[in-house]
Amino acid sequence: MSTLIKQPPSLYNLVISHYLVSALAFVALAVMVLFSSDTLQGHYFHPKLLAITHTAALGWGTLVIFGACYQLLPVILETELFSYKLGWTSFALFVVGLVLLVCAFWVFDPGLCMQAGSLFLLSGISLFSLNTFITARKVKRQNIYQEFIITACIWLIATAVLGVMMVFNFQHPFLQQDHLQFLKLHAHMGIGGWFLMLIIGVSAKLVPMFLVSTQQKSSYLHYSYYLLNAALILFLLDTYFNGINFKTYFIAALAFASVVFWLAYIFYCFKSRMRKTVDVPIWHTLLSFFLLATAMVIIPFIIYYQLAGNPLSIQSTQLYGTMIFMGWISSLILGQSFKTLPFIAWVKHYQHLTGKTATPMPADLYNKNWLKWQFVFFCVFLICIYSGLLFRSPILIQTGLICFSLTALVYIANLLLIIFHKPDSKYGTL
Amino acid sequence: MEPFDITDKQSFQKMEILETLRLVIDPELEINIVDMGLIYSVTLKGEGKIISIEMTLSSPNCPMGASIVGAVQNCLEHYFPHYKTEVQLVCEPAWSSDLITDEGKRLLER
Repeated sequence: MSTLIKQPPSLYNLVISHYLVSALAFVALAVMVLFSSDTLQGHYFHPKLLAITHTAALGWGTLVIFGACYQLLPVILETELFSYKLGWTSFALFVVGLVLLVCAFWVFDPGLCMQAGSLFLLSGISLFSLNTFITARKVKRQNIYQEFIITACIWLIATAVLGVMMVFNFQHPFLQQDHLQFLKLHAHMGIGGWFLMLIIGVSAKLVPMFLVSTQQKSSYLHYSYYLLNAALILFLLDTYFNGINFKTYFIAALAFASVVFWLAYIFYCFKSRMRKTVDVPIWHTLLSFFLLATAMVIIPFIIYYQLAGNPLSIQSTQLYGTMIFMGWISSLILGQSFKTLPFIAWVKHYQHLTGKTATPMPADLYNKNWLKWQFVFFCVFLICIYSGLLFRSPILIQTGLICFSLTALVYIANLLLIIFHKPDSKYGTL
Repeated sequence: MEPFDITDKQSFQKMEILETLRLVIDPELEINIVDMGLIYSVTLKGEGKIISIEMTLSSPNCPMGASIVGAVQNCLEHYFPHYKTEVQLVCEPAWSSDLITDEGKRLLER
């Protein structure tokens, strides 16, 4: 006999709040880059770029992942979420911290505002991780998805702790190494340890579910897990003690092999799928995987230019960062939001009516044409921004950023359509 | 699902119940739960006055699980108002794509 987990009423508000604030951060991100496009071509340690990157990584990426995790952890870990109150406390601390940190970065005031912001963020992240750890502890059967999620949370805490140390180091220098050296460690713990680790774990469970795949090469996930962790640990140790050097190529190859195993797993899921129709959210997801693979191809060039002392290392790092945050992570969220949010809204509005009368399906809660436009704007953005960055064309970059803003506007409009969905009066109310 | 047994006088009624359950749609895949292979058995108990359904979900702790089970209950209460209904959710044997019927496969390929 199986136990059935019902959607608690508090879950809806918690998840919706995360998605909504994340969408606002996405719009803010689009506006910030649109009006400071020149910073995309400058050095990555520019204050405005730090504000933009943290809006993307924390406000847009991490917040939506937190929201999705509250909804999906019970599915992936096959147990109930430990605490919704902890989720709300984490959310409040995180949002306050995000606003303080981003504002402080934008005007570059490394004082109390930046320090308090970083501590609020660390507290929010710690509470989210605690909630995840306790939830995972209740799991009877250990599985690889759980390993990915737990390890991702550990990397996230490590990223945040190093971030806080760097913030305090601005006013009270105590770190032994160059600040840029720590920035590389901080960025890769966040990108590889948090985002990549979590996305591999969650997608490995959800993609075969959505596609109804008959073949799942689970051993590939184990290889991917160990290779990625080995790459991250080696990168941290080697870069801390020796900086970027020839060994970094080998470490990048390990990370690349990890991604190849994961993508091979996804490929077999896709190849053996019973559901043949590929909808726009899945196209967005597949595009995001392609963007990640492309971003990783840039890494050897960054290492090469950096070792050669070539200023192109800055340009290639910008391209890499843009591909990661505005490409890979954005595309994934732009797709997967429509595979998660409509369901929680549908359960709230229609669960009591199912089986009695014909009701709309979750996919009917958003406008499919708007979603197609979102995909088109996003593709045009990608083409323009990458060709603009490669050929150093401000017109192409600006056109791309306008399309990025349009993507954000269409996305938030569709999200609001789901959030404020009102069932037809013929269905009655709960 | 157990095969249709012409010697069992309840077989026609069970088939009618099963056909009615085709009205319950999986919200994600948008195909009915019978062709998805989620219904393991339909039994008539208590002198034929209790409809007992044994079913599973495509994934344990499926986020739509409560909706699907609720939908089965709603559907039976609505179309068979003179019967009591019991829905038993089981996780063994676990659902696999092999349980999808040919019609289900055709619907998924649309």
